Amino acid sequence: MAEKHKPAPMVDEVSYFEALEVAVRELCIEKGLFTADDHRRWTEYMHTLSPIPAARLVAKAWLDPEFKKLAVEDGVKASLEVGIDWINSMPTHFGTPSDYCSLRVMEDTPKLKHVVVCTLCSCYPRPILGQSPEWYRTPNYRRRIVRWPRQVLSEFGLQLPEDVEIRVVDSNQKSRFIVLPVRPEGTEGWTEDQLTEIVTRDCLIGVAVPKPGKTQNDIRPIARAANPYGH
Amino acid sequence: MSKSHHADMATGIGDPQCFKGKAGKAKFKVGDRVRVRDLQEVFYTRCQDYTRGALATVTEVVYESPPPEDEAWDNTDRSEWFYSVVFDMKELWPEYPDVYAKDTVETELPEFWLEKA
Repeated sequence: MAEKHKPAPMVDEVSYFEALEVAVRELCIEKGLFTADDHRRWTEYMHTLSPIPAARLVAKAWLDPEFKKLAVEDGVKASLEVGIDWINSMPTHFGTPSDYCSLRVMEDTPKLKHVVVCTLCSCYPRPILGQSPEWYRTPNYRRRIVRWPRQVLSEFGLQLPEDVEIRVVDSNQKSRFIVLPVRPEGTEGWTEDQLTEIVTRDCLIGVAVPKPGKTQNDIRPIARAANPYGH
Repeated sequence: MSKSHHADMATGIGDPQCFKGKAGKAKFKVGDRVRVRDLQEVFYTRCQDYTRGALATVTEVVYESPPPEDEAWDNTDRSEWFYSVVFDMKELWPEYPDVYAKDTVETELPEFWLEKA
């Protein structure tokens, strides 16, 4: 009876790079570089991550000028107030190997808009913002945003006046960046929870600005599987 | 050198925090005008090609660390000060439209990549 029912596959394909990762991981475990238990603990840590702490950091900064000052001067210390310890939250207790421990919070003004990229690879402030979206890692974004920011932001639906300086922040070293956007109009008297809701991941990268009522990132096109299951 | 020398030095302290105090005096300060040197790097660098030879302003003196050109080969004996520098878009790309001439790029560089402009 069981043979008649074939469950649908969970994914359309296992990519070349996913297969490579499993192979390298199993080799490392076989050769004693780390244990399967080390890997499990690391994976479990990564699964705790999300953009919410960064959104809450922005909401707190909007509500408290002293906290905003701390966030801009010492991002790692400010992160503690939203439950993120860049040094000790992760199993290493010295930060993550790819994210380090130097968060810099970039404050937008009405005349200055930041947007973050890593042109060299795709460095991203994972401990406070979660995993990066696929588009952030593509050469399409990484090569173009630093040379044609206005065109690329326009593709994201964001157009800014000429007298606003766009500052593309290229995270090429140990610092990781989030954007502290300008608090939008129409949010007077809002609670921290209400403000947190409108600071989406795209706002924290800098390709969107927060708006009352907008609590989701825009949907981006998904690349089709190259070798789909059943092919 | 032990395979865990980095963990031994950085556990509970953080990276780049573990290199604090090891670089000596910073050569540049906030507001300084600097130029990115056009050095011939061998194998590995994190100084972007598009910055070579360009003028910038130091906006922040950020932290001390071995430069990635050394750190990639596990040479962490020597640390330098790292600086956050801002370039005008028109300095990097002469064809950048004048109407948006206020736009900039900010990135971090270790001291050895910079010279006084």
